[in-house]
Amino acid sequence: MSKIKFHPSEELLVNYVSGQLNAALAVVVGTHIDMCPRCRAVVHDIEVHLATRELHQTSPVAEPQLTAMLESILSSEAPAMPERPALQEHVVLESKSFKVPPSLGRHAARMGPWSKMPGGLWRSPLELSAEERMYLIYMQENAKLPEHTHRGNEATLVIDGVFHDEHDEYRDGDFIFLDSDQHHTPHTADESCLTLAFLDAPLHFTSGVARLLNPFSSLFFR
Amino acid sequence: MQVMPEKRNTRQYMSTVRREPQEMTAEHLGQLLAEVAKTRSRVAFSELFRHFAPRLQSFATRQFGNEQTAMDLVQETMTNVWHKAHLFSPEKGSPTTWIFTIARNIRFDILRKNRHRQNDVSAEDLWPVLSEEMSDSDEDFALDTRILLQEIGEYYLQLPDAQREVVEQIYIEGKSQQEVSDTLGIPLGTVKSRTRLALQKLRELISEQN
Repeated sequence: MSKIKFHPSEELLVNYVSGQLNAALAVVVGTHIDMCPRCRAVVHDIEVHLATRELHQTSPVAEPQLTAMLESILSSEAPAMPERPALQEHVVLESKSFKVPPSLGRHAARMGPWSKMPGGLWRSPLELSAEERMYLIYMQENAKLPEHTHRGNEATLVIDGVFHDEHDEYRDGDFIFLDSDQHHTPHTADESCLTLAFLDAPLHFTSGVARLLNPFSSLFFR
Repeated sequence: MQVMPEKRNTRQYMSTVRREPQEMTAEHLGQLLAEVAKTRSRVAFSELFRHFAPRLQSFATRQFGNEQTAMDLVQETMTNVWHKAHLFSPEKGSPTTWIFTIARNIRFDILRKNRHRQNDVSAEDLWPVLSEEMSDSDEDFALDTRILLQEIGEYYLQLPDAQREVVEQIYIEGKSQQEVSDTLGIPLGTVKSRTRLALQKLRELISEQN
């Protein structure tokens, strides 16, 4: 595996570990962590740190309450694990099959149908709830996503392949987080690219004929 | 006369502080978990419970600001510890860290139960802590091929002239609907309906390609 260059910030990882992220963003970050030994180690350190900090203080609980709770636990049935969609190891787009990390595979059953977008792009929505959505985006070779800004944050993770923008080149495992001020124009060259993307507000295309897309960018990224 | 009792109080206070939260080592807590897992030892669990319950209570009260919900988190977390102690493995971390991650997950689920409905994501889907089969994956994720090229302009050119004209002026020339109405000498309502129809048509054209 090639070396991953772009990682989530420590702040994002702390929010991931403490369970404060939008669940869809947590899936994107979790998928990066699956692919990235460095971030797995950082996450472990954060867990140790937070556990120590959060479970350091004690709150007085009245003795009768404690005893009652203890008794009730000792006589309880094992809690049933909720039924969950099966983990999928691959996602499929037409004749192509992509191996995906478990943090994504655990949600792959929720994937919507692929739809083709102009410019050599395909996308499939993956919805955890009405406010928690992400997209699998496939860019074929020499594809281009129009230049755009976003009203909120955008997190993109490369699952497989390479894409470029005016700043850099991004490969398997690279995680890119952009806020609403940052423009970029993702494109592919002679390799295609599958990414997982989280957007907390619709895209706003800023150039040329792509501006046509704005009124229904909701069709693409919703 | 007045100084003496004060001193004694201080000493007493310090000695109780020292005795109260006895330093539980990770090894000791780990042994207790192992006993619970192997022999269902109620004594070992009680000791774990007495150590963790007040800490979880403090954590949960800070999270929820509600004592009853906090108690629910303590009970659910420790119930999992009682039944799933066999899933703890010392190689992966300390007992405190493990129990913290269980509490973190339960917090997440409690917060969602208040907002959402069934078929919702559970914390175990995001951070598997209590799943029997935990997969650590560190492979490369590969494969690809090709698909067909498509241009936005293609769709755009398929619009009827009247609609294309309106869309062109609004979305390429950046005019307001009122300006378009003035330029073309058509009613504002017509501009609006043509725009709506044009966007609908573009949607259809794109979806047809699915």
